[in-house]
Amino acid sequence: MHTEHTIETSAERQNRHKAMEAISVINALREDFKSPIHSMGYFYDLFEKVYCHHQPLHEGKAKIGTMCIQIPSEIIYALDGVPIRLCNGFYTDDEIGGDLLPQKSCPLVKATVGWFASDNFSDKPDITFSPTTCDQKTKAGAIIESFGHTVIDVGFPRTKESEESRHYWRESVKSFAVKLSKFQGKKLTRSNLESAIKKVGYAQSLYHKLTEFRKNKAVPILGVDMFLVTNAFFFDKIDEWISAVEKLVVELEQRASEGVNVAGKASPRIVYTGSPPIFPNYKIPLIIEQSDAIIVADETCSSNRMFNDMVAVDEWNLYDMIDSVSDKYLKACTCPIFTQNDDRIRRIIQLVRSYNGDGVIYQAFAGCQVYEMEQRSVLAAMEKEGIPILYIESDYSPSQHGQLTTRVEAFIESLKNRKRMKK
Amino acid sequence: MRYFVGIDIGSTAIKISVADENKNLVGHKISASGSMFYKYAQEALAELLKELGIDESEVVYTVATGYGRKLFKEADENISEITANAIGAQQAAKSYGNIKTIINIGGQDSKAISLDAEGNVVNFAMNDRCAAGTGKFLDVVAMNLEIGVDELSDYHFKSKGTPLSISSTCAVFAESEIIGLLGNNHSVEDIVSGVHYSIAKRIVKLVKRVGVKENVYFDGGPALNDGLVSAIENELGHKIFVPEYPQITTSYGAAVLACDAFLSESAS
Repeated sequence: MHTEHTIETSAERQNRHKAMEAISVINALREDFKSPIHSMGYFYDLFEKVYCHHQPLHEGKAKIGTMCIQIPSEIIYALDGVPIRLCNGFYTDDEIGGDLLPQKSCPLVKATVGWFASDNFSDKPDITFSPTTCDQKTKAGAIIESFGHTVIDVGFPRTKESEESRHYWRESVKSFAVKLSKFQGKKLTRSNLESAIKKVGYAQSLYHKLTEFRKNKAVPILGVDMFLVTNAFFFDKIDEWISAVEKLVVELEQRASEGVNVAGKASPRIVYTGSPPIFPNYKIPLIIEQSDAIIVADETCSSNRMFNDMVAVDEWNLYDMIDSVSDKYLKACTCPIFTQNDDRIRRIIQLVRSYNGDGVIYQAFAGCQVYEMEQRSVLAAMEKEGIPILYIESDYSPSQHGQLTTRVEAFIESLKNRKRMKK
Repeated sequence: MRYFVGIDIGSTAIKISVADENKNLVGHKISASGSMFYKYAQEALAELLKELGIDESEVVYTVATGYGRKLFKEADENISEITANAIGAQQAAKSYGNIKTIINIGGQDSKAISLDAEGNVVNFAMNDRCAAGTGKFLDVVAMNLEIGVDELSDYHFKSKGTPLSISSTCAVFAESEIIGLLGNNHSVEDIVSGVHYSIAKRIVKLVKRVGVKENVYFDGGPALNDGLVSAIENELGHKIFVPEYPQITTSYGAAVLACDAFLSESAS
């Protein structure tokens, strides 16, 4: 009766776990919502290819790992590398990392460390640059280095208003460019940096086009689809990403003209903020959109914050371009690691106003101290503005799904009531 | 001849084992607990003895175990299923080697037991969340998929895609997850293998709480499901031993204990 089976290796087992996590999200996106978008198929297939079948995308290319949003992709592309953002959303890796880091640490950091610890990549980074943004990421860099990976710190200031910080960061970016240039054996030139800035800028302009549609009364694209599109930018071939998004823009134009709405008529419009949704940890965004609300905008480093502000170049000289690139990654950033952080509150209010939001959902990963610490001030500011807000703490584990759903549903229902009362 | 009876009254089934003086299994019987399990237990025992041609007077010591053990008043002694399971597993796996870790999935709970070199229970862990990942759960799954519980294994090995995980730890919510997957036209094969892996992941977490030491023994009704066995082996990363009759380990352990108890009593 009991037959002989072969037993998976630990890498195979881990890949199966990740595939199981990935496929459930991809299936939810494919199946759980009305009016699916045809050109989203590219992205569903891409994630399935990479996370269920573990296919490499960049064989033969230099893969430059980045540990946060602040490492300029423009410089990596200019130096002929492929930026791979290693912020990780897998519970499987979170559990592996949990054995190496304190239980109370941020799941994103644990998952990233777990990924390196298992050394199981479809596109393994050849070198990784870690900006010293939050404490946990900074310390994680050193731990990852101990597994035998090359991790280089890129000094990042914790204040952004001062001229000293700006100067410090500009020097940091220059030093990063020099190190990468050496590693790649290639010179950063006026022409390769200019074309990289233009390419990344074009990708951003496409993102802006997508977000414009979300201001419409009938919203033609789900927030979770938007997160998937922006998360794909973490690791996809940029030219393929661009052409897929171009097609998406065309389809959304068509849908907008036909008034296609992925949400219901009464669905509350949510602005999402806090710790970043990173595939496949779409737990909260999925609950929101499965509970008859629609995410119309976000303030997170996996989407809006990553794409919002563009590099503004005055003079197309090499050093001017580097300074402009640096400024974009410092001045425009609304990460809560900064001390004076009124920008973030301003940005959230601005998003609520311009996307006609009915409420804000603020999600912090348990262990992500900066978001946890800042929530009180954000809640107070929203209250002052009369914007309803729900604060949720979660992690990567699938187990709290029932309780979280109840909280989110109750909030969404209260927003619906509010809307009806207004009328 | 003198015989020893172990009777295990579980939530789903009554298991009875009869051992001889050498602790060898002479016969066993499994019947549904039903609504009057005291009566059913008595009847089942009488039937089994009749089938084996054993006169009631030849049964010299009876030990009851399982969550209904206290209701079987004829027993000379009763012991917890953890101890009975440990004793039975070691006896049943004698030809295989020294058992160090036991996984037991029953009708309504799952357990991991860790043994020392002498075979004593040093640690054990039990699921703390209702029927998630138990035999009952597999029944519910099979019912929702409109297949027999004994077919689950075949479906598991036919799965070609990625197993579709079930994240709910509650059998009731899991049911709605499965219905959702069916509604979206996923193959029964991928759902079944997903269910098996979801249970296996949960059980392996439980096992890790007591520490995984080889050899690992797996019993309880769900151990008849080869698909689940394979899933647990993959999650653990090594082979597990499943006895010929995985459902009766605990009652067999009770019978072995009955034998030991009787012999030590008569020696004194």
